[in-house]
Order: sequence, then structure tokens, then C-alpha cells
Amino acid sequence: MTRHAHDEARELIALGETLSDAQQTWLRAHLGECDACLHYADAAGRLVRTLHSQPFAADSALVRTTQMRVRMRAGELQQRRERLLFVAMSCALVAVSSALTTLLLWRGFAWLGRWSDLPTPVWQVGFVLFWIAPTLAASLLFLAHGTHWSGHSGKAFRG
Amino acid sequence: MNATAYCFVNVMESETSAIARGLRRRDPDLLDRLIEQYQHRLLRYLVHLSGNRELAEDLFQETWIRVLERGHQYDGKHEFSTWLYAVARNLTLDHLRKKSPISLDGLLEQEDHAPLEPADTRPAAWEVVQQHQQAERINAALVGIPVEYRETVVLRFQEGMALEEIATVTGAKLGTVKSRLYRGLNLLMGKLGGPQA
Repeated sequence: MTRHAHDEARELIALGETLSDAQQTWLRAHLGECDACLHYADAAGRLVRTLHSQPFAADSALVRTTQMRVRMRAGELQQRRERLLFVAMSCALVAVSSALTTLLLWRGFAWLGRWSDLPTPVWQVGFVLFWIAPTLAASLLFLAHGTHWSGHSGKAFRG
Repeated sequence: MNATAYCFVNVMESETSAIARGLRRRDPDLLDRLIEQYQHRLLRYLVHLSGNRELAEDLFQETWIRVLERGHQYDGKHEFSTWLYAVARNLTLDHLRKKSPISLDGLLEQEDHAPLEPADTRPAAWEVVQQHQQAERINAALVGIPVEYRETVVLRFQEGMALEEIATVTGAKLGTVKSRLYRGLNLLMGKLGGPQA
């Protein structure tokens, strides 16, 4: 019997229940002839049974803490989702309203320019400024808030 | 026989699909149930993978947070436990990589790793002592073998995973899993004073 046959038998023993019929037949025949491999198979079987039945318990406090943390995180994610939905809806509303009102505003500014005898570029610049003013104001507000938040979180992180 | 197998596969698929749907909805009740269902198995795997109970408990919590955040990535076509172990494994590896000065060997060499606690099944006093001693011996032997072998042995013989599932969790080839299993079992038997190949 070659060393290769013993190695192969022990590899098959380690694989356990995943053997094909042919492998099982060969292994059974080998174990019938080789006491060393039979001894190895017994020892491996005992170890595997012990490993399988080894008791292990997680702490119930750990489970409760994990469940609580998961619920809190789920709440945070839900809030973030709702905020994002609100922002997306606001953006859509702004886009629709600006599409509807831009033409009216343009005509209004043109009429005002003619009525007050202003040169065309002047009322056009006025229109652009008026049109862009809410966006600028909102951007500045967001920037100010962003700085404020990052300052707060930095303090919290430090301590 | 075939009809029984077909029914079993269908039931399993509908269960994994239900889990996948629940995870997409981020259903907290489902997550509570899953945490309870997999508490012992997942923690045991993490303890063996990290070699440190305290770290394993942190990783246990982080794993479930990640399951919540990335639950939509679970397709419901495979066993949930396979996906769960893969998430836990990736988290553990990320953690160990971040703590670069502490190598995995370093973790294994730490002396303060807590021994695994036996479940309170209230047997006779001598049985408790015997069980505890046996568990300690095996855990000490497990900690003494390289992590890739330990992980494969634990997944196969404690978690009862199929070789293909272990390959999915660890990202290793089937042949590598087989070889790790053989060498791991061999090393473990050597540590416990049994016969070796």
C-alpha cells in the first residue's frame, strides 16, 4: 500500500459526508485493510462529533443591544430617506414652477423695460438677477448651515 | 421522494425570498428574529475568526448593522446564512486590515482571549466541569491553528456548511477549501494529541 493511498484516505475522511458512492466504497475497502487509517478515522470522527456538539451561547444582553442598535439605525435610515424624498420633491416642484413662470417673468420684465424706457440689456440683466436671487440665497443658507454642522460634529468628535 | 425534495427546495426558496423582501424593506421585526436565530452561530464563527471574544462581540453588532444597510444586496436565491457569514467575514477582514500593526498572528498570540462559554443546559455538576474542560481544550487547540484552517474547520464541523457554501463565504476555490479542511483537521488532531497524517 503506497503512502499516496493513505493520504488520499485521510483526505476523504476529512471531507466526511460529502463523498461520492465510489469514494465511499474505496474508503471502506481501504479502512478494512489499514489499521492506522481506521484509527485516524475513529479519532477524526470523535473530534468532529465533539466540535459539532460543543456548546456555545451568545450573551442575551449582546442580542438585546444589537437589536436596539439595529432599530435605531433603521430609524436614522428611514429619516434620511424621508428627508431625501422631501428634497427630491421640492426640486421637482421648483423645476416645474420655474418652467411655468420663466416665460411670464420674461414678458413682464420686457413690458417693464419698455414702459420705463430702459435699454434692453438693462432689463435683461435685471431679469437674470431676479431669476437667480432665490437660488443664490438658498445656496448661501445651505453653505452657512453646512459650516455650522461641520463645526458641531467636529466638536462632538473631539470630545 | 423527488416530490418531497421539490417541496423542501420550494419552502427554502420561499423562506429566503421572504428574508430578501424583508431586508429590502428594512423590516426591524424580521431583523430582530434573524438576530435571535443566528446569535450563537454567528458569534461563535466571529470568535473563532477573530480569536478574541470582545472583538467578536463588536463585530457581531457591526455585522447586523451592515445587514440592515446592505440588505438589498441579498438576492434570496442562496442560503441567508452563507450571505451573513460572508458579510461578517468581510467586516472582520476590514477591521484586521485597519488595525495593521496588529496582525492576525498578533491577535492569536494575545493571552486575554476569553474562553468560549458553554450554554446553560443545567446538566450535573461533573458534566459541567467535563464539558467546560473539553470546550477549553478544543478552543485552545483551535486558537493554535492558522486562521484559514480554523475558519474552514469551524464552518464545516460546527456550522455544518457544505463545502460549496464555505467556498462562497471565504471566496476560495473548492479545492482550496478541501485542502484546508484536511490540513485543519490534521493540525487540530495533532494539537489534541490524536493521530496525524
